[in-house]
Amino acid sequence: MAGSQNIGEASDNPVAINITAMVDVIFCLCLFFMCSLKFKQLEGKIETWLPKDRGVLTTPPPKIVLEEIRVFMRWVDGQTITKVGNRAPVKSDTELMQIILQMSNDFKKLGKADFPVLIDALPEVPWRDVIHVLDLCKVEKLERIEFAAPMEMAPKAGGQ
Amino acid sequence: MPKQIEINAELSPNLIPMVDIMFLLLLFLMISADMGQRELEDVILPKAIVVKQDNPELVKDATGERLTINVYHVTQLGGKSVLSCPVYERHDVCREESHWRIGIKGRDYVDMNLFQAFLEKEAAPFRQNKDPNNKNISERKVMIRADASAPFGLPQKAMNVCARVGMYKIDVGAALVLGKDDGKKRP
Repeated sequence: MAGSQNIGEASDNPVAINITAMVDVIFCLCLFFMCSLKFKQLEGKIETWLPKDRGVLTTPPPKIVLEEIRVFMRWVDGQTITKVGNRAPVKSDTELMQIILQMSNDFKKLGKADFPVLIDALPEVPWRDVIHVLDLCKVEKLERIEFAAPMEMAPKAGGQ
Repeated sequence: MPKQIEINAELSPNLIPMVDIMFLLLLFLMISADMGQRELEDVILPKAIVVKQDNPELVKDATGERLTINVYHVTQLGGKSVLSCPVYERHDVCREESHWRIGIKGRDYVDMNLFQAFLEKEAAPFRQNKDPNNKNISERKVMIRADASAPFGLPQKAMNVCARVGMYKIDVGAALVLGKDDGKKRP
């Protein structure tokens, strides 16, 4: 009885199709896509908007900022040397942030709220180290973080 | 004497469920395959704690689609091994200038004047002249996706060119640190 037969039984299809070749092709396609599959890392962003009133956007700045916390970053013998102002190079992140926060508090005590943290890194310094300092400052809620302009821009503008 | 039963049946496995599964697997792999243009180059982003989630759907707003500037190492060009750089492959800091590129939408820019001309064209439609002191300001958003070991000089150049053409809404790409302690140690 035809009604009691299972779906897909040979008696339903008088013309048998050889699906082996199709399976082979699908296997090949699967192999190709599996080889080309790459999982993306979770990406995010850090806002680093440039100031509109200073830097290379305009002619020389109308107000010269004398108060700043300048973080120097140099690439020496495959290592990034970080120091704040004319102090000795820091040995750890904790020391770096202690100095920055101490300077920040000193400025606040003097009633100066408008001071930037200026990251002055040489071109050879790895980007990750610069982002690391930026990140540490952001963690401590220091919002005014700037990057120093390259040497050729220095006479035109103090910072970006 | 017992009668010997002769079995003469062909054993053929039912391939249809397997084909169904294969089709589903194929569909998944085809959908997840990155067939887009090289808007996003293959880079290892620096890790950071203060990272805002980046939703590409929300990026396209009144100020247009966000531009993505990639700073990347050339050995990673879509699986094509252009250069062999053992230093970069070891995840060390490669300082060979010719190995690094600044690229937008799959095109590399070595000449900064050409790069500036391109950005100028991209920035122009979004100048709203809201700021009377600076009419050069463009509201176009830019994301700088630089490789973690890229020399700072390259993202710095990109920022400079953005500033010259009046683009100030700049974000930098970073990957979220999974363990909070990961970001506390100096690299």
